[in-house]
Amino acid sequence: MAQLFPKKIDLMIRGVGLAVAIGAGVTAGGMLLLHHPKKIEPGYQPTQPIAYSHKLHAGNLGMDCMYCHNTVDKSSYAAIPSSQTCMNCHSKVKAQSVVLEPLRKSYEANEPVPWVKIHRLPDYAFFNHSAHVNSGVSCVTCHGRVDQMIEVKQVQPLTMAWCLECHRNPAAHIRPAEFVTKLDWKPERDPAEIGREIIVKKKINPPVNCSGCHR
Amino acid sequence: MIQIQGIGNQTGPKFWRSLNELANTPKFQQWVAREFPEGATDIINSNSRRNFLQLMAASMGLAGLTSCRRPVEKILPHAKSFEGIVHGNSLHFATAMPLAGSAMGLLVESFEGRPVKIEGNPGHPASRGAANMLAQASVLNLYDPDRAKDVVEGGKKGAWDEVAKAMTQAGSLEGVRVLSGYVNSPTLAGLRAQLLAKAPTAKWVEYEPVSDETILDGSMIAFNDSLRPHYDFKKANVVLALDSDFLQLDNRSLGWIKDFSARRSPAHHEAAPAATPAAGEHGANGHAAGDHAPAAGMNRLYAVESNYSLTGATADHRLRVKPSDVANFVFDLARELGAITGLKVLGQQDKFIKALAKDLSANKGKAIVLAGPRQPAAVHAVVALINQTLGNAGETVTYTKEDRRSMASLVELVKDLNSGAAKSVLILGGNPVYDAPADLAFGDALKKVANSVYLGAESNETAAACKCSLPESHFLEAWGDATHLDGSASIVQPLIEPLFGTKSAIEVVGLLVNGKWQSGHDLVKGQWKLADAAWKKALHDGLIAGNAAAAAKATGDKTRVEAAVNAHPKAKGGMEVSFFPSANLFDGRFANNAWLQETPEPMTKIVWDNVALMSPKTAKEMGVAEVVDNVGMYGKKVAIEIDGRKVEAPVLVMPGHADGAVSLTLGYGRTAIGRVGKGIGYNAYAVRGLGSMGFASGATVKKLDGTQYLVTTQEHHNQEGRPIVKENTEAGYAKNQHFATHDEEHVELFSLFDGFDYSKGSQWGMAVDLNACIGCNACMVACQSENNVPVVGKEQVAKGRDMHWIRLDRYFTGAEEDPQVVYQPMACQQCENAPCESVCPVAATIHSPEGLNDMAYNRCVGTRYCANNCPYKVRRFNYLNFHKDLEEITKMVHNPDVSVRMRGVMEKCTYCVQRIQEAKIKAKAEGRAKGEAGPYKVGEILTACQQTCPADAITFGDINDPNSKVAKLKKDHRNYTLLHELNVKPRTTYLAKLRNPNPELA
Repeated sequence: MAQLFPKKIDLMIRGVGLAVAIGAGVTAGGMLLLHHPKKIEPGYQPTQPIAYSHKLHAGNLGMDCMYCHNTVDKSSYAAIPSSQTCMNCHSKVKAQSVVLEPLRKSYEANEPVPWVKIHRLPDYAFFNHSAHVNSGVSCVTCHGRVDQMIEVKQVQPLTMAWCLECHRNPAAHIRPAEFVTKLDWKPERDPAEIGREIIVKKKINPPVNCSGCHR
Repeated sequence: MIQIQGIGNQTGPKFWRSLNELANTPKFQQWVAREFPEGATDIINSNSRRNFLQLMAASMGLAGLTSCRRPVEKILPHAKSFEGIVHGNSLHFATAMPLAGSAMGLLVESFEGRPVKIEGNPGHPASRGAANMLAQASVLNLYDPDRAKDVVEGGKKGAWDEVAKAMTQAGSLEGVRVLSGYVNSPTLAGLRAQLLAKAPTAKWVEYEPVSDETILDGSMIAFNDSLRPHYDFKKANVVLALDSDFLQLDNRSLGWIKDFSARRSPAHHEAAPAATPAAGEHGANGHAAGDHAPAAGMNRLYAVESNYSLTGATADHRLRVKPSDVANFVFDLARELGAITGLKVLGQQDKFIKALAKDLSANKGKAIVLAGPRQPAAVHAVVALINQTLGNAGETVTYTKEDRRSMASLVELVKDLNSGAAKSVLILGGNPVYDAPADLAFGDALKKVANSVYLGAESNETAAACKCSLPESHFLEAWGDATHLDGSASIVQPLIEPLFGTKSAIEVVGLLVNGKWQSGHDLVKGQWKLADAAWKKALHDGLIAGNAAAAAKATGDKTRVEAAVNAHPKAKGGMEVSFFPSANLFDGRFANNAWLQETPEPMTKIVWDNVALMSPKTAKEMGVAEVVDNVGMYGKKVAIEIDGRKVEAPVLVMPGHADGAVSLTLGYGRTAIGRVGKGIGYNAYAVRGLGSMGFASGATVKKLDGTQYLVTTQEHHNQEGRPIVKENTEAGYAKNQHFATHDEEHVELFSLFDGFDYSKGSQWGMAVDLNACIGCNACMVACQSENNVPVVGKEQVAKGRDMHWIRLDRYFTGAEEDPQVVYQPMACQQCENAPCESVCPVAATIHSPEGLNDMAYNRCVGTRYCANNCPYKVRRFNYLNFHKDLEEITKMVHNPDVSVRMRGVMEKCTYCVQRIQEAKIKAKAEGRAKGEAGPYKVGEILTACQQTCPADAITFGDINDPNSKVAKLKKDHRNYTLLHELNVKPRTTYLAKLRNPNPELA
C-alpha cells in the first residue's frame, strides 16, 4: 500500500511543534515581563470623584497626614477621612466651590464619597499600618512624596519581594516616631545609623516568616 | 495493610472508636486503610473528564482577560464620623442569649458593625467566660438567608402597618390567647401583666418542648413549694447523676462544667515527688483511703442512665439501666440511706447501691445527687429528700423560688382552640405545630381559630399553619432583657439594626398593650428605670447588679415523698423509648444552622442526621445493627410505635446503651424550614405524647426493610491501635506517676535534620488536659467561627472531606456492652520537626521563629503531600470551593482577620495566629516592657478553642516563660506527647486522663 503521508511530514510536524513551543514561550515571557507587578503596579493613578490635591493640603498648607488619616497609628487601616472631616474646614473655606459639590452632597445625604482605591494588597496579605508607623516607618517609604502629588499615584510595586527587602534590612527605613509623617525629613546623620539605634531601643524585629503577614 | 503494633497497648487497656473497629472485619479494614474513602478524589460530576476539559478551556480564556485590566476598587468612608469606632479594630459588646427560660451572658465581637464572633461573658454566672455550641453558632442564624424576612398574610406579602392596624382595632383582644416560650424577660412579663389587665378574657400560655418542669413538680411533693435546686460542684466530692446529662444538656451546664472539671485534678498534683520505684510506694502511702477527701482532691462521679451521655462518659462509675429503672434505683438508694422506708426492689444492683450509699454517707454535706428532667416528679422528690438526709441541702445544694409552669395550660389552650373559646391566637416564637405533644394535635386545633398570628425567626411549620406570620428579630438585633435561672438579669443589647425590618416579641406585645409601636429600647429602659450611669454599667457588664435570687428554706416532708413513691406507677414492660434534646440542634430551633448540623454529635459522631440508639445486644436480637461496606455505613430502619403513634428511624448501635430501650433525638425531621435543615433526620416529636414527655414504656419497635446512609466522623483518621490516649486511675497514678511517659523513656531518638533554635523569644505551645475535657464540642464551633472554616455537607463528610481544624476523637475502652469513653481534642500539633514541612514541594508550610507551623495558603498548590505525611491527620484540604455558593449575607459572618480559603488549598489549625499577631502589634504599639507574660498581658492571647472551653481543658501560651501556666503544665507528670517515638516534637501535649473509681466497686 502506498504511504498516505510523505516522509517530509515528520519534519513538518516537528517544525510546527517547535513553532508552537517558541510562540508559547515568547507569549509567556512577554506576559511575565509586561505584567510583572513591578512593571504594572507603580504609576497607577485613577481619577478620583473629587479633584482633591494632596500637594495643596499636605504640601503647601502643611497639614499633617494624620489629621485625616487619623487611625494610622491605632489600626491596621489608615482611615480615609469621613466627609465630616473635610467639612470641618470646607463649611467655611471654599464653601461654595463647584469642585466640592460632591463632598457637600455626600455630607448632606449621609452617603459616602466613592474614592478609588490606589494601594491594593491581595486579600491574603494582612498589612497593618499601626505596626509600621509605631515602629518608625514613614508614610513616604511606601506611598512616596504624596505631599508633592496633585493626584495620588502608586510609586512602589508593593510586591512581597519589595516588602521583604525592608523586612530583612529595615535600618534605612526606620526614623524617630515624631518624623514619621514628615515626608521631607532630612536626617543630619546617616539614616541607617539612626535606624539601627531605634531598632535596638524598640526591639524591632520585622517578621520574615509566613504568618507575619499571611493568616 | 501494615499492622502497627501499639507500644503502650501491650499492657494498657484497648482503646477502640467504634464497634466496627472492635470487630475488625475485612470490609472495615479496607474502608479504614484508605486515606480517604473510595471516590473521595473524584470530581463530583460523573462525566468529569469532559467537564475538566471545558473548565480548562474556559479558564485559559479567562486568564488572559482578567490580566488585562486592574479591577477598580472603591473605598467608601462614612459620611459622618462615629465616636469610638476605629476602622479595622473590633469592638466587644456584652449581651445575653435567651434560651428556653434561661439566659447565657455573652460578649460579642463586632467588626464595622457586623457581629462576627461570640464568646462567653466572664462576669455572667451562666457562661463564666465560656460559650457552648449553640450560643457560638447563633451568630450564623443572624445571617441565615432563609430567615423569615416578610410579613406574610394569607400566603401573600403583607406590611407591618396593616398588621398593626388589625391588631390594635377595637375588640382585637377579645378572647385572645398568647402562646410563648418560658417568659424570662422582665419586660415581657411586665407587658404580659398589662395585657392581661387590659383584656380580662385573654390568657397567656407558656410552653417549652425541652423543659425541666418535672424538677419543680418534684419540689412541690418534697417541699410543698416550687423550688429550683442549684448545685455547687466546687464543694462536691461525690456526685450522683440520675439520667441527667448535666454536663451537656442543661441550661446551666457551662458554669457546672467549670466547677466540676476544676475538681478533676488529682490532689497530689504539685507535691508529687520525682518518680522512682521507691517514690511509687511513697505515693501509694500518701494516698490512703480518705486522705484526699478535702476540697483539693479529685471528685467522683457516678452516672445511672440508659443512653450514653457525656456525663456518663466523664463518670468514674456508670450503671446502665432502662429509663424506668432509674426510679427504682433511686428509691432503693433512698431506702439504703434511710431517707425513705420500704423494701428494696432491685436485687442485682445491690452491690452498686451499697457501695454508692457508703461513699455518699462518707461525704455528708459534700455530695450532690441530681436527676435529669426526663425522670418523673417522684424521682426528683426522693432526690431532694436524699440530699436533705445527707446534709447536702444548704451546703452543695441550695434552692431558690421559681414560678412553676405546667403542661396543663397547653392542654387547656388546645381545648379552647377546639371549642372556639379562643377567638384569636398570637404565638410568640417557638414551633408548637412541630414540637407540641403529638396527642394534642396542636396543628389541627390551630386551624380552627379565625385569627392566628405567628411571630418567629423562621418560616417554620407553625408559621405555615397560621393565617399571618411576622418575622422576628434575632437577639443580636433587638433590645430585650433576660433573667437566668438563678435570677440574675441581663440586658439583651443589639449589635446591629434589624437586617430585614423585623420586630421583637416585646415590640409586638407592646403594640397590643399601648396601641402603638414603641421601640424595644424604650420598653426595656422603661421596665428597668435605671439611672443613666447604672444603665450604662448594666450594658457594659452584661449583668444588672443585685438580681440574684435569695436562697429559699427547704424542708422535705418524708410522708408526702413516701406517698408519691408508693403511688409511682410500674413500667408497662416492652421497649422503653426516651427522648433527648439534640446536643446540636437543641429542640429543633437550630436545625437550619449548618455549623451545628455539621458538628458531629458528641457521642455518636453522626453528622447531618439523627438516629435511634440501641444497645449492641438489643440491636443484635432484632437484627438491626448497622452495616458497613467499603463506601460507608447504613443504619437499618425500624418503626417505633407508642400509643398508636409511629415514626421510622435508622438504628445506630450505641455501646453502653441499656438493653431493651431506644433513645431518640429531638429536633430533627423538620419539614418547613430553610435549605440547610430540610429533610434532615426523622421527627421524634411525632411519637412523643403528654404521657411520655421524658420517656415511654410499653412501646413496640419493628424492623423495616429499608436502610439509611449514615455519616460518622468517628472512623476517619483511624490511629491503628497506637497509644494515643493514655488513661489510668487516680490510685494507679499515685503509684506510678510516670505512667504517661513510661514508654517514652527508653526510646532513644535522633533527627536527620538540624533543629531550629527555639530558645529565644516567645515559643507558643499548648497543653490539653484530658482529665478536664468532657467532649462537649464547643471548641469545634469556636474554631469554625473564628477561622472561617467552611461547611461541606453530608456527602462530603462521608468522603472524609470534613474541614474542622479541631476535632474531638472519641475512644471506647472495655467491653462493647458496657465500655468507658475518653475524649481527645485533636488539632495541628505544631511539631518542631514537622513532617509536613519536609515534603512540601513549594515551601507552603514553613516554621516560624516562634515555633508555629505556618501555612501560606497563597503558596499552596494542593499536592496534599503534607496531609499524607502528617501522623496526626489534622490537615484539611479544600477539595471544592466550599465558600463559592455562600450568599452575600452569609459572608458577613466571616472573620476579616483570617483568609477565606479557596479550592485546592490545604489548611489546618494555626494556634489562632491572627490573635497572636494582634496582641503582638498592640504590645509593640504601647511599647510594653517585659512583664509577667512577656510583653503580653495575662490572658491577652487565648486561642478560640481555649477561650470558649467551659472545662478549661486547653491551655495555650509561651513555653519559654517558666511562669506561664502552659510551661507549668508541661512539667506535670501526666504530660505526654502523642506518638513520641516519631520524634516530631509536637508543641501540643496532653495530660493523661485519670479516673477515680470507688475501690469497693473495682
